[in-house]
Order: sequence, then structure tokens, then C-alpha cells
Amino acid sequence: MELPENLRKRLEDFSRNVLFDPNRSHTVTKEHEPFVLNDKRILSSLHLQMSLYFNLWFFPFWWISEIVMLNLKYPFLPDYYKFILVTILIVMTCIEAIRLYLGYSGNLQEKVPELAGFWLLSILLQLPLILFQLFNEAILIQPLERGVHIVLAIFILTQVALGGFTALRDLVRHTESQFHLRQFNSSPP
Amino acid sequence: MSAVSSLVPARFLTIIAHLVIVITIFWSRDSNVKACLPLEYTQEQYEEEDKKLVVGLSVTLGLFAIELAGFFSGVSMFNCSQGLLSIGVHASASVALLFYLFEQWECSVYWWILAICSVLPACVEITLFIAVFGFKKKAS
Repeated sequence: MELPENLRKRLEDFSRNVLFDPNRSHTVTKEHEPFVLNDKRILSSLHLQMSLYFNLWFFPFWWISEIVMLNLKYPFLPDYYKFILVTILIVMTCIEAIRLYLGYSGNLQEKVPELAGFWLLSILLQLPLILFQLFNEAILIQPLERGVHIVLAIFILTQVALGGFTALRDLVRHTESQFHLRQFNSSPP
Repeated sequence: MSAVSSLVPARFLTIIAHLVIVITIFWSRDSNVKACLPLEYTQEQYEEEDKKLVVGLSVTLGLFAIELAGFFSGVSMFNCSQGLLSIGVHASASVALLFYLFEQWECSVYWWILAICSVLPACVEITLFIAVFGFKKKAS
């Protein structure tokens, strides 16, 4: 399953321009690393992949705990929170599935748009939702919910930190350097 | 080795299950503290027993941090014997703590569960740390 073409283009432009300053990245080249065109270094981040792998295993148990707890406290919630919590559960499930898929494919296949999409979904959608579930006392947070939400929040925070500031940065720098070099090699005679 | 690919997530899940139950007990320790006290108790006695249980739970969390540090840094992730020990011990801790919570056992039981199911894997973890970083043994 590929991302639609215009979505890919937008995410790529976003990561190249908004996330990382294009003027700064050219000056940061390490001295002992020669600038080769066919650089075969592996750019997938191991730590991000580990975080995604364990998150994938943890997600069904989070889901089951959340469903059971919501079922138990449903009669005691005010009406608006009933609607809000069911909506949040459905939204978090869908977003989590998409997010983990994008993270996997973006990291393993070293694709910038997927990884940027994963990072945006994590920081803009999942992070506020999980913080809402953790800190809003009005939704009658149960001790078991606190436990599983704390674990999921730690996963999302590490993925935002690792994915954003290491994997995405290295990937964007690498594709930029390749693009930069290719311009020289394919210049007209 | 294909067994490792199922040991690693199993170990992770049992550690997380134990961790989640410990966090749950942290937030709902009221009935367990009352189970340790006599029928007529003063507020100071309650506070004292509560403080002891909080100390026990915090020590458990600290030992979790040690074991998770060893696990995620790769020192003991692929070590099969530590993996099996960890799975067995944390699974039995999860079941025991579940009974502790639901049947409202008294406080002294918690120290036994802590000793067998948290201190033991943490000690083995520290031994592995020393073996890998000190004696340069390969973390198989």
C-alpha cells in the first residue's frame, strides 16, 4: 500500500523545509566521512524500530484494557464524556494502526514521507489524546487505565523523540546529500 | 534461533504486565493497607503501613528500571536463560499480585513476592551487566 502521490510530495516538502533548515544541513559534514554517491550505510534507526516492534506487541493489550475499563465505568460517566470517550477510543485505534504501519515502512524502507507522516501523527494526534486520557480526572481514570496509559505514553514520547530527531534528520540529510551530488554528476557538458 | 523471536516479545509482555499491576496497586492500595491493620486502628498506624507499602512498590519500580535497562540495551535481550527466568518469574508475579489485589492479602505477602519475583531477575541482570561490560563476555 503506497501513500497517494500528492500526500507523499507534501510530506517530503514538509520534512525538507519546515523540519530541517536547508541552509544549515550542508555545513554539517563530518570530516572523516567521504562524500560518496553510492553510500550504502544503513539509515534505519534501530532504536526506533525496537520501540515500534514492542509498541505493536503492546497495542492489543492496551486496547483490551481500555475497552473493559470503559465498559465498567460507562454508567457512571456524564453523557458528553460517554460520547467523547467512545470517539477517542475509535480514533486512537485507527490512528495507532496507521501510525505503526507508516513507522514500520518508513523506517525499514528508509522512506522520508512515511516517516514524516508517522512523526506527525504521533506528535499531533496520539500525544494530545493520550495526555488527555492520563490527566483529565473528570473521566474517572481507573488505576488499571493509569498503568496502561503510562506505558503507551512512554512509547509515544520515545517515538516522537527518536523518530523525529534522529531517524528523520539522518534520512533527510542523506537524501539531500545524494540529491546534491547527483546534480553535479548529471550536469550538462 | 527462532525460539528467540518468541522469547523476546514474551519477556517484554510479562515484564509490562507485572509493571502495570504494580502501578495499579500503587493507585489502589487502600484495601490492602487496611488488611494489614487490626480492626481498630489509628491514623498513625495506617500511615505507617501505607508508607511501608509505598516503599516496597517504589523498590519494585527501581528494580524494574534495572531490568528494563538491561533488556533494552541488548545486554540480556538475547540471553535465553535470563529470558526464561524473567518470563517465569514475572508471570508468576503478575498472577500473585492479581490475587494480592483481588483477595486483599496482607502486607507481608508483598515482601515475599518482591524478593522472589523482582530482586532475583534484577540480581541476574546486574550479574550479566558485569559479565558483559566488565569481563567482555559476548552477550549471546
